[in-house]
Amino acid sequence: MKTILVLMLTLVLATGYVYAQEAASKAASRPGSLHSITLPAIHTELKEGEGRTTVETRCAICHSPDYIPMQPKLTKAQWTATVNKMIKVFGAPVTPEEAEKIISYLAAGYGTGN
Amino acid sequence: MGFRDFTRRDFLKTAGTLTAMTALGDMPSELFAATDGRRLVKFPEKTELLLLTSYPPQLETPLHYFRELVTPNEALFVRWHVTPIPTSVDLAQWRLNVGGNTDKELLLSLDDLKTKFPRVTYTAVIQCSGNGRSFFEPRVPGGQWKNGSMGNTTWSGARLKDILNMAGIKPGSVDVSFDGLDRGTLPTVPDFIKSLPVDKALEEDMLIAYEMNGAPLTMLNGFPARLIVPGWYATYWVKSLSEIKVLPRQFEGFWMNPAYRIPDNACGCVPPGAKPQKTIPVHRMTTRSLIINPEDGTSLRPNRPVDVMGIAFSGGYSIRDVIVSVDGGKSWSEAKLGKDLGKYSWIQWTYPWRPKKPGKYTLMARATNSIGESQPFESLWNPSGYLWNKIEPLTVVVR
Repeated sequence: MKTILVLMLTLVLATGYVYAQEAASKAASRPGSLHSITLPAIHTELKEGEGRTTVETRCAICHSPDYIPMQPKLTKAQWTATVNKMIKVFGAPVTPEEAEKIISYLAAGYGTGN
Repeated sequence: MGFRDFTRRDFLKTAGTLTAMTALGDMPSELFAATDGRRLVKFPEKTELLLLTSYPPQLETPLHYFRELVTPNEALFVRWHVTPIPTSVDLAQWRLNVGGNTDKELLLSLDDLKTKFPRVTYTAVIQCSGNGRSFFEPRVPGGQWKNGSMGNTTWSGARLKDILNMAGIKPGSVDVSFDGLDRGTLPTVPDFIKSLPVDKALEEDMLIAYEMNGAPLTMLNGFPARLIVPGWYATYWVKSLSEIKVLPRQFEGFWMNPAYRIPDNACGCVPPGAKPQKTIPVHRMTTRSLIINPEDGTSLRPNRPVDVMGIAFSGGYSIRDVIVSVDGGKSWSEAKLGKDLGKYSWIQWTYPWRPKKPGKYTLMARATNSIGESQPFESLWNPSGYLWNKIEPLTVVVR
């Protein structure tokens, strides 16, 4: 529940930030002073497996899922270190139970087998 | 080089892309193509590039673009660290804030950068610290780049030194930090900020670039202005700059420490799999070369001349020579160097070759710069996969 709240709060903040920026730019933009692009939506299908939904929702808060299949096959220890880095360094809102699920999924689907 | 080198394979690739576009409708957001099994994707202001990640975008340049001395803007690689990345900049609003331990604070518009400071132009290689990371053995986690996270671009902008001197650096200043418009999704995500020692920041050739190859920067390459640290890895070339801060102490931030570090020794390396005792920030680029033509695995005809062609560069020193071997390193010949665009640019080289007997041939190239720095035969290893510059053999078959 706590993580959902954090997630919602983040989305609200992020959306608010974008709206504030847009409002500010609309107020003072001159013709031709605005330069914008729209990023394409690119879908990457992750392997099926126990925990995929947790990975898709939690990891996708900050980055696209293609970060996962891009990696070489990593050991469970390396996947654990990667997930811990996301939590400890980047503050990913992931509970210990979810972290365990994520690590198991990554080690099973994208691991070296040990 | 040029159209002559537009191979049948390139033609098929293009034709395949066109077919795919027709099949998928008007504006496909992504295109699949047979390029090392990786996807080609189309982002705004860019041509189809190899997808590493889509958000934040990490896109690699297909190697055939390196047949050109200067890399087209739409083909230059893309690498962002945190999301959201800037996708909209209003120049009426955008200001570069210069301050901190300075006599005064500056708020510079893009027009200010263009009109208040002399315009400086030079060509410089931009290369990601992790270029070639996917070739490391044992493999290391991180962006799995091949050789396409680099390019050669003509940059124009204002000297950083002139800007810092206008603000007036106070005595006792230690570092200068550079922040861009990208911000982490969560407040806990470390903002992408890089720093340089004051002495480095005041070097003559440091630039705040507002043009690449005579055009405004593309959004994904750092519109409206980015830092250029010629000869150093692109991690310092902070994009879409928003703030430059002079600091009376050493900058401490995640992207300087523990990120982007190399072992603190002459080779920047440790035995494969080992942990370095002490690390320093990655900085100047190693010397390297790359064979662009023929491509690995190409079939050639006996007694037909082929121009072995490639590029070579080093971290801020001109290339003294490039030697080429077509027999797996047993014998070497000097390649002919092309047009010299200065010490920060890459140089093209050619070696005319006429393979006589059918068989497999292993081609290698090795560059040496003006201070004698060269390339190793065996890969040097470090845990983050930086400084890749091994001599890369490729094989062609003559039949």
